[in-house]
Amino acid sequence: MFLEFLKLEIDSAIRKPMIYIFFFVMALLVFMAVVSDNVVIGGTVGNVYKNAPYVITNYVAILSIFGLLIAAAFFNTSALKDYDNNFSEILFSTPINKASYFFGRFFGALILATIPLLGVFMGFLLGAELGPKFDWISADRIGPFQFSTFINNYLLFILPNMFFAGTIIFALANKFKSTVISFVGALVIIIGYIISGTLLSDIDNETIGALADTFGIRAFSIDSKYFTPIEKNTVSVGFSGLLLINRIIWLGLGTLILLVSYFSFSFTTKNKKAKKLKASVKTDENANLTLPEYSLNYNSGAGLNQFVSFFKVNLTSIIKSTTFKILFAFSAIILIANLLNGFEYFGLQSYPLTYKMMDLIDGTSAIFVIIILVFFSGELIWRDRANHINEVIDATPHSSFISLLAKSVSLIVVASTINFFLILISICYQLVTGYTNIELGLYIQNFLYTSLPTYITWGLILIFIQVLLNNKYIGYFVSVIVLFLLDILFLILDVDSNMLKIGSTPSLTYSDINGFGAALTSVHWFNLYWILFGVLFLLIAGLLWVRGTAGNFKNRIKSIKKHITPKYTLGITIVAILWVSTAGFVYYNTQILNKYKTSDEQEELQVEYEKTYKKYQNVNQPQITKVKYHIDIFPKKRDVLVKSVVTIKNNSNQPIDSLHYTIDESWHTKIHIKGAEQVLNDTKFGYQIYQLKEALQPGKSMRLIIVSSYITTGFENNVSNLSVAENGTFINNFDVLPSFGYNESYEISDKNDRKKFGLPEKDRMPELEANCTANCMSNYLTNGSADWVDVETFISTSSNQIAIAPGSLVKEWKEGDRNYYHYKVDHPSQNFYAFMSGRFEVARKKWNGIDIEVYYDKKHPYNVEMMQNAVQNSLDYYITNFGPYYHKQARIIEFPRYASFAQAFPGTMPYSESIGFIIDLTDEDKNNVVDAVIAHEMAHQWWAHQVVGATMQGATMFSESFAEYSSLMVMKKSTKDDIKMKNFLKYDLNRYLTGRSREVDKELPLYKVENQTHIHYGKGSVILYALQDYIGEEKVNNAMRSFLEEYRYQKPPYPTSLDFLRHLESQVPDSLHYLINDWFKEITLYDFRLMKANYTILSNNKYEITLDIEAKKLKADTIGNEIELPLDEWVDVGFYSVYDDEENATIMHQERIKFDKDKMSLTFTLDSLPVKVAIDPRRLLIERVYKDNLRSLTEKTD
Amino acid sequence: MAILKIENLTKTYPNGVKALDNVNIEITNGMFGLLGPNGAGKSSLMRTLATLQEADGGSVMLNDIDVFKNPTELRKTLGYLPQEFGVYPKITAEQLLDHVAVLKGITNGKERKEIVSYLLNKVNLFEKRHQSVKGFSGGMKQRIGIAQALIGKPQLIIVDEPTAGLDPGERNRFHNLLADVGQEVIIILSTHIVDDVRELCSNMAVMNLGKIVYQGSPITVIDDLRGKVWQKSIERSEVADYKNNFNVISDKMVAGKPIIHVFADTNPGAGFENVEPNLEDVFFTKVNLQS
Repeated sequence: MFLEFLKLEIDSAIRKPMIYIFFFVMALLVFMAVVSDNVVIGGTVGNVYKNAPYVITNYVAILSIFGLLIAAAFFNTSALKDYDNNFSEILFSTPINKASYFFGRFFGALILATIPLLGVFMGFLLGAELGPKFDWISADRIGPFQFSTFINNYLLFILPNMFFAGTIIFALANKFKSTVISFVGALVIIIGYIISGTLLSDIDNETIGALADTFGIRAFSIDSKYFTPIEKNTVSVGFSGLLLINRIIWLGLGTLILLVSYFSFSFTTKNKKAKKLKASVKTDENANLTLPEYSLNYNSGAGLNQFVSFFKVNLTSIIKSTTFKILFAFSAIILIANLLNGFEYFGLQSYPLTYKMMDLIDGTSAIFVIIILVFFSGELIWRDRANHINEVIDATPHSSFISLLAKSVSLIVVASTINFFLILISICYQLVTGYTNIELGLYIQNFLYTSLPTYITWGLILIFIQVLLNNKYIGYFVSVIVLFLLDILFLILDVDSNMLKIGSTPSLTYSDINGFGAALTSVHWFNLYWILFGVLFLLIAGLLWVRGTAGNFKNRIKSIKKHITPKYTLGITIVAILWVSTAGFVYYNTQILNKYKTSDEQEELQVEYEKTYKKYQNVNQPQITKVKYHIDIFPKKRDVLVKSVVTIKNNSNQPIDSLHYTIDESWHTKIHIKGAEQVLNDTKFGYQIYQLKEALQPGKSMRLIIVSSYITTGFENNVSNLSVAENGTFINNFDVLPSFGYNESYEISDKNDRKKFGLPEKDRMPELEANCTANCMSNYLTNGSADWVDVETFISTSSNQIAIAPGSLVKEWKEGDRNYYHYKVDHPSQNFYAFMSGRFEVARKKWNGIDIEVYYDKKHPYNVEMMQNAVQNSLDYYITNFGPYYHKQARIIEFPRYASFAQAFPGTMPYSESIGFIIDLTDEDKNNVVDAVIAHEMAHQWWAHQVVGATMQGATMFSESFAEYSSLMVMKKSTKDDIKMKNFLKYDLNRYLTGRSREVDKELPLYKVENQTHIHYGKGSVILYALQDYIGEEKVNNAMRSFLEEYRYQKPPYPTSLDFLRHLESQVPDSLHYLINDWFKEITLYDFRLMKANYTILSNNKYEITLDIEAKKLKADTIGNEIELPLDEWVDVGFYSVYDDEENATIMHQERIKFDKDKMSLTFTLDSLPVKVAIDPRRLLIERVYKDNLRSLTEKTD
Repeated sequence: MAILKIENLTKTYPNGVKALDNVNIEITNGMFGLLGPNGAGKSSLMRTLATLQEADGGSVMLNDIDVFKNPTELRKTLGYLPQEFGVYPKITAEQLLDHVAVLKGITNGKERKEIVSYLLNKVNLFEKRHQSVKGFSGGMKQRIGIAQALIGKPQLIIVDEPTAGLDPGERNRFHNLLADVGQEVIIILSTHIVDDVRELCSNMAVMNLGKIVYQGSPITVIDDLRGKVWQKSIERSEVADYKNNFNVISDKMVAGKPIIHVFADTNPGAGFENVEPNLEDVFFTKVNLQS
């Protein structure tokens, strides 16, 4: 009988369209993700096959979250079908078997629920088959199929996820007999997943996080965290690791829920508790038995009254509904969970600034508001009909538009209520954490500028969709399509205009420095445009609205003509005219006045540029030796006028007869060269060539005058230039000047894109060369345009701002209502600097003749003094260990959070408002990331600005890796705590290991790093830190100093990483020479395991400790293939006297031991008993799995 | 004195069913009964009169308001209790009536409060005014229904099958309520229950298959039948025979045996006895003998 019910369940579902629709949607989604790079599910695929087992598992896992809602539909229907059709009483009075009925239904639904997810496999199969055939993607991005991948994914993800969700939904449905509650159950599972993710995102809790994840996604991502591309391409997800444990936990829990549900399930329907009407006392006071006088009124005032009455009734019904209450509660829970998690930044917390709250509110409310708008638009439109009161209401003399308007407004008010509620929570949080600068006005502004207009536009349009389609479920379906799929479509069609994407506006980022910035005007116009659009559609909906029974669509159109009043026509006409005028104005500003390129157009332009002008790449060009800038910044208007007098010199041994430039079109640039004729002016690519009448001879110099300006006109589709700001302008020298010659950085770098456009393969960096001269004539920062440059700047800005340029301030004066400054660099420097202007507060301090200055926004005074100290500490260490500082000032300048980095220019360090100024350092000691970033940027004054690498592999090793190392040394000097250093370095190690698993091309060893952050920051700092531990800090510093002395401010050829290794080799003792090869020249990984750790108490009260160790040393090639190398390593073994967790531990004793066998047994004698023992306790070596290095001791029993 | 003129009203549904087939009626003040079996087209007619459905042809005029051309004008003077009448969940009787009162144009809050409490008293629900209507019994709900229909000085009140499902007590109360207001306005009472019409209406029409098969006063139509209705108690096996040989108006069971009514100008034969016709006979005569 079990099979009967199972079959019945499946039979009835496969005759309905739902299952096919879901299957199709899943298949389509995956198909598109396979054949197009624009459609992304959960993250970009990178350098692995589009159908790699790793990708398949990711898609399956992520889509099974959405599959949950589908599952909810099947399990809920299955549980409630007989009940809803009032068939249960008949059915349950027949002699059927409870178990067969219950489990038959359940497993029938389970099978059904997994079917749509099989669409994922279909998508992969079709995409892999058709993609290359139709040339949507190239064939080498498709790998071979393994059938086992599908099977394993089905068994590990699809089936268990649907099973677990099914047990909950089935139990809820059987218990509560309410579809809403079942769906809420599904939602709770999803939200639970999200919350557990935010709570357990820290690297320390990741195992718990992985096990707590219902879907197994996080378990899989930890298991596969350090997968190399090869592994991603070939290894199918298997029944092992955290994932297996996770699956067992959730299957077990699901089974338990199912059994509980089964035993509480009964065929006899419980009598509903009859609600007793309250016996009321008769009160006759209000009795009124003569017909009172009253008047009827149908003027516009009546319309308002009707609106209010409709609005009240609608609002009450939504607010009192369970669905709303649940969504309301969940949005609050998610926000609170996020808040409790705080604003973590490398283990530190930032102050709860209002804009941080705003970001969180916007992020949290979005999904709930979408659900509310979609769900309640349908509910409101169908409410009268669902409650059978429609005929009464429809027959009253109100205008349909009023009724629809009231529905829309209640929808918008409900959405806004959630928003305000979240604001309230945020304010409470700020107050509770002791932050008192509550910017209520800012919360409201943010709501009015971004949230409210979106709610209005979508509210009106969703109401229109429901009215137009006149079927609730088709309405929901279309709403979701319009909300989500339309965006995907526009992405594929390469449409960027905000005028076409419903409700979209330029993105608005609030900065404490620059407020809402330049985007605000544009946002206002787009908001107006969309709101009018919505109103227009609502007016049309008013005509299409069905009163009574109108029949088919044709009849509805027909009755429009009958019912439309002249007043209504006038209303529509006015709104239409307003909308069209706004549209025209927005179009003029965003498409004509401020043309922009879509991403595809941009790509094509890059391709054409390369194809047309690549031939000039190696044309001999002079270098800049001196520049005198005259810059006028007009912050209010966002205009910048620049006149640059540039001295160029022919450093080659050939005469130069033509000068080449590439001009960025967003800057208006004019080049004046005496005695030269313009022979090419390609305005499409901005390429210009000037023919010199007299060739520039070797060693000779000449001058050019370049006039450039950035002028803001009207408003844009998206703010294209965030660097020119009302407050906080931050422009680079390469913004102001054109590129000299062909600019290689315009080329498309993505390997697959290049193939698609028929461009030749391109190396990320030229190959490292030993003893190179010709190929080392340019450095990677200025790329041949200059070597060491003398810069002088006359810069002006408005009277309330300070303008800053590189070098010492020579003079400062006022002229009219403007401030003028004259700066000059103290020593010729890299042609790499910025000009800034803003309303700054300035903190100054003098140390050994150097001005330490911090320019900051008055809202962010918190860390200024600490920053000055950090600069001082860095200067102190670097001058002592590396050599002199060549500038008379060290400036930190805060800039708006449009970017979140800090950068080093000669003597100047722009520092984003979002990463240092707002971090709460009240209780922090000296080694924190804010200090570390400053120390890093300060170190660049030596590493990059005094010595810089040739444009070649390995160049960033002695700028970025050295800066990281220097910063670590400053930190080490002040903290003197190994455990703290280890916990700081763990972020670097993690960065390297995750970075290498996302490698899109090939991994190279450190000395050939190709400007990749995970190698030069992550691996570089780990290796250099370990190196100083192995050979001594002094030795490493010696090597660095002697290297610097050889190349400091030297003319080209520029040094390479091999030149540094030459200096290093003499500092490394022979016994450790292997480290240079293993760590710098190879990709070496270690794998240690502590198998056993026993102790015995000796007769002299000492402890003998025996460790069984397994060790491996692995060499990886560029794509992640590993081979085992013979062991001959020095490795630390450490003993903890205290070990609470990774951060709170004390090492009582450590020894560096020679590991020369893959299985070893070591014996130590210690005075006291350690609590734990670890191999490589300070985690100096690069090892993926570290957990098995650590063990507690057990007493030996023979 | 209001006059409702319905002329040549026709309506055919997309599935071919003729819901209204050239309907012509003229109705003046007072209670008008519209009698017909289920599916006769009564509700289609009611909905058309209530501006909730459009006809294919014909016209409806209330005094000088053309209902099709100007539905809003009609709505201002209409009270409508549809056949299916539900309420919003979680809304009290008072809130519901207040809402309808606003929609019907009573903009003055104080006046609205008065009329609402007057009507609640009238339908005997004043004490329950703060309770959710959703929890009301069928009869109470119908009373709320009629109360809302009475709001706004309607000239035309349409009640569609109001007594279906009410117990006799509720039904009586409902009738009294209608009779109370029924003198100065037009009330159209659509029903398939003959007694409703007999008890309340001075004028009536019988509708079947979209057509008006009879129109007049209940008394006249009964007079017309007087002496022509014959009754006989027969065996169950004989029913078919009788139906073939006589104009059988109706057959119903009395104490387990069928009693048939036959229409004939003279005594149709053995065992038949003449009976005083009632409205039910009229109904069945019009419906059964004409189709």
